[in-house]
Amino acid sequence: MENSWTSWLFLIALAVVALLFWPKTGLFVAISRWRELRRRERFEDALKHILAWEQRRQDATPESIGGALGLVQSSALSLVADMEERDLIHSTGGALKLTAEGQRLALHVVRAHRLWERYLADDAGVPMERLHRAAEKAEHQLSSERIDALDAHLGHPERDPHGDPIPRADGSLEKDNAVPLTDWPVADIAWVTHIEDEPDVIFHQILSTGLRPGKSVRVIENTPECLVIDDGVQEHRLVPVVAANIQVAAEPVNTERPVGLRSLSELAKGEAAEVVELGSMCRGFSRRRLLDLGITPGTRIEASLDNPFGDPRAFRLRGTVIALRKDQGDQIWVRSIGEKTTTKDLSASDCYTNPEEIKRTAENAAQGISEA
Amino acid sequence: MSKSLSTPQNILDRSDQLRRALDGDFRDQVVSSLYGEAQRIAERAVRRDSSNKWDLDQRIDRIVTSPVFGLPMMILILAAIFWVTILGANYPSAMIASALFSLEHQAALLFESWGVPDWITGFLWHGVFRGLAWVVSVMLPPMAIFFPMFTILEDLGYLPRVAFNMDWLFRKAGAHGKQALSMAMGFGCNAAGIIATRVIDSPRERLIAILTNNFVPCNGRFPTLIMLATIFVAVDFPPVFASIAAAGAVVGVVLIGVVFTLLSSWMLAQTMLQGEASAFTLELPPYRRPSILRILYTSLIDRTIFVLGRAVMTAIPAGAVIWILANIEAGGTSLAQHVASFLDPLGYAIGLDGVILLAYVIAIPANEIVVPTLMMVYLGADLMTELTSFDEIRALLVDQQGWTLLTAVNLMLFSVLHNPCATTILTIWRETRSARWTTIGALMPLIFAFVVTFLVATLWRALV
Repeated sequence: MENSWTSWLFLIALAVVALLFWPKTGLFVAISRWRELRRRERFEDALKHILAWEQRRQDATPESIGGALGLVQSSALSLVADMEERDLIHSTGGALKLTAEGQRLALHVVRAHRLWERYLADDAGVPMERLHRAAEKAEHQLSSERIDALDAHLGHPERDPHGDPIPRADGSLEKDNAVPLTDWPVADIAWVTHIEDEPDVIFHQILSTGLRPGKSVRVIENTPECLVIDDGVQEHRLVPVVAANIQVAAEPVNTERPVGLRSLSELAKGEAAEVVELGSMCRGFSRRRLLDLGITPGTRIEASLDNPFGDPRAFRLRGTVIALRKDQGDQIWVRSIGEKTTTKDLSASDCYTNPEEIKRTAENAAQGISEA
Repeated sequence: MSKSLSTPQNILDRSDQLRRALDGDFRDQVVSSLYGEAQRIAERAVRRDSSNKWDLDQRIDRIVTSPVFGLPMMILILAAIFWVTILGANYPSAMIASALFSLEHQAALLFESWGVPDWITGFLWHGVFRGLAWVVSVMLPPMAIFFPMFTILEDLGYLPRVAFNMDWLFRKAGAHGKQALSMAMGFGCNAAGIIATRVIDSPRERLIAILTNNFVPCNGRFPTLIMLATIFVAVDFPPVFASIAAAGAVVGVVLIGVVFTLLSSWMLAQTMLQGEASAFTLELPPYRRPSILRILYTSLIDRTIFVLGRAVMTAIPAGAVIWILANIEAGGTSLAQHVASFLDPLGYAIGLDGVILLAYVIAIPANEIVVPTLMMVYLGADLMTELTSFDEIRALLVDQQGWTLLTAVNLMLFSVLHNPCATTILTIWRETRSARWTTIGALMPLIFAFVVTFLVATLWRALV
């Protein structure tokens, strides 16, 4: 018995030593690799920061980098010196500029970040508030090949889930399609994306109205003298010169329920309805999947089975039975067709969108090719 | 076509440009028009006779997914399958065992009469052949009964209904309802179950299903469970109910496995694999009449012979290793005894013993040989006792080796929770291509097994 205890101790000691010093996977190697990775992450974060400031036409400085990355002055300075040595940035009179190589690397990281967010939101179903942090990690770990593959897999998306443009493979970055509030069509809902902080007087006037990035507003009236907008609480009157300093874009997602429609989840067991549309929240992979199963506008669908827990429920359509969870059913909008309607009453033409439309799009595309 | 489009790069650039000009719902339109066209063709070409097959399907569906009967029915069906397996396998197992062991005996005598050295006879017949005989007699009859019955359920189309019934639980655990399908495959073989996770689209949920599949006891582990249930549970019941009690015990262990599947899925979804539930779409296909010939073929040839073949392939070298361990002596005791007594403190802590742990180390290539290994090490090298009935096994374990109900309970738990076999680990590697996930897939169950059995043993000893 005593003998076996000593052997146990010896074995444990052996395991600990192996854990520490094993080549490639040992703790020491892991720590040095981790430090190397941290260093690269800092480089890339700093490049991203400079790019972001360049796009806002501001000059990044070692201080601003230190602030953004949470570094003390001396570390920030040595980081900048390191990057200059590697020819990623050059400084002109205190202002830091990206070199061509630095620009390429920065765009690569931004592209990785935004594509990854798109992927997490669409394919992995990660909630909005967790996207940014996850992408902050992943952006440093994705190779160009993987990013290109991801881009193709996602169908070359142009914007990330926050509405920011995704840099393309060739490094071109679409200008943000935010427009001044003065150019926004009347009655449409707009999403405030940016408020110019210069000049000061106008900036403060805008702030005093309570408008902030992220708020949605509706333009009620737009004349050369005055712009009337409604932010859901009260109306504001702005002179065009002020309103022009508010940048707006289309609302990122429309969560509103279409008028007069019910969601599939609200059908009682045995009740039949007709699919009107898939909600705009339903995107990416899950939208594709629902379409592929034949849940297209005009399809007759019937709630056919509940289950012991009430979720998921099974629906009958096109001669098959398909189970869907409640959060998917919530995104499918249907219209009642009454109990008596049979499949026969729905003629083929009701069930699909005009093929002419498709044909037209294809023709336009063909024309585009021959024009070029 | 103009000159500017002559290079592939230009065409790619142009298509890139055009793609950006497309509407956001272009894909919607394409799919809608495809379905519209398909429906138009179908309406012209397909004539439906007004059969009431559909209504019958619906009526069956209403029952098997019923809020009241759905879940109890699932458990009942599972219990019935185990009951038939236990009841039916008992007698043929004993017959095959006595036939093979008498063959071993005769062959050994024959070798002796030829003057073959003792160690060759022992190695070949009491080592290699005995390992083989154990595996065949313990595994073949239950598999030949279990697999066809399970294939019938599969063929009928019942499994998607199970996934439908269970999805809510899986969603609460942060996993996908189709995990129930891969678990059902896991009853046959965990490696097959892990391959079956390909039906799950979300990489996160698929990984959860892969890492937790091992908590479903596979066919290689059922013999252990059935043997323990028969020896330790059924013995307290009158003969009429014995097999029912044994089946009930096995179902109980399987349910514990399901609970651990959900628990570990939940833990993974909270820590390493965070994320929201992905799209869940599951088709409930119409019921089909199972075709008997195909069932017999797929379940007997594809599965039984395949699994048995694998078990035999690992049983032969394992039998050899066990014989060597049991027959090479150092300082008066055999190597097996040395290793077993070395493992004894750890075994005692979790309510088992060193021999059981040794059996699990030797059985890493395939779980099927756990019981044979146990028997051979317990019996020692030169014991010629042939255990052909459960009574004799019980006498050996309880009277000679001091097994208690705690040993049996913990061995059942350990059997359900412990690390996957080598084939399964290899399959995890093939499916994930990640050393990290493979390691987690192998070690997480092992840690679970040690923690749970340790807690049970400690509590048991404190209370009983």
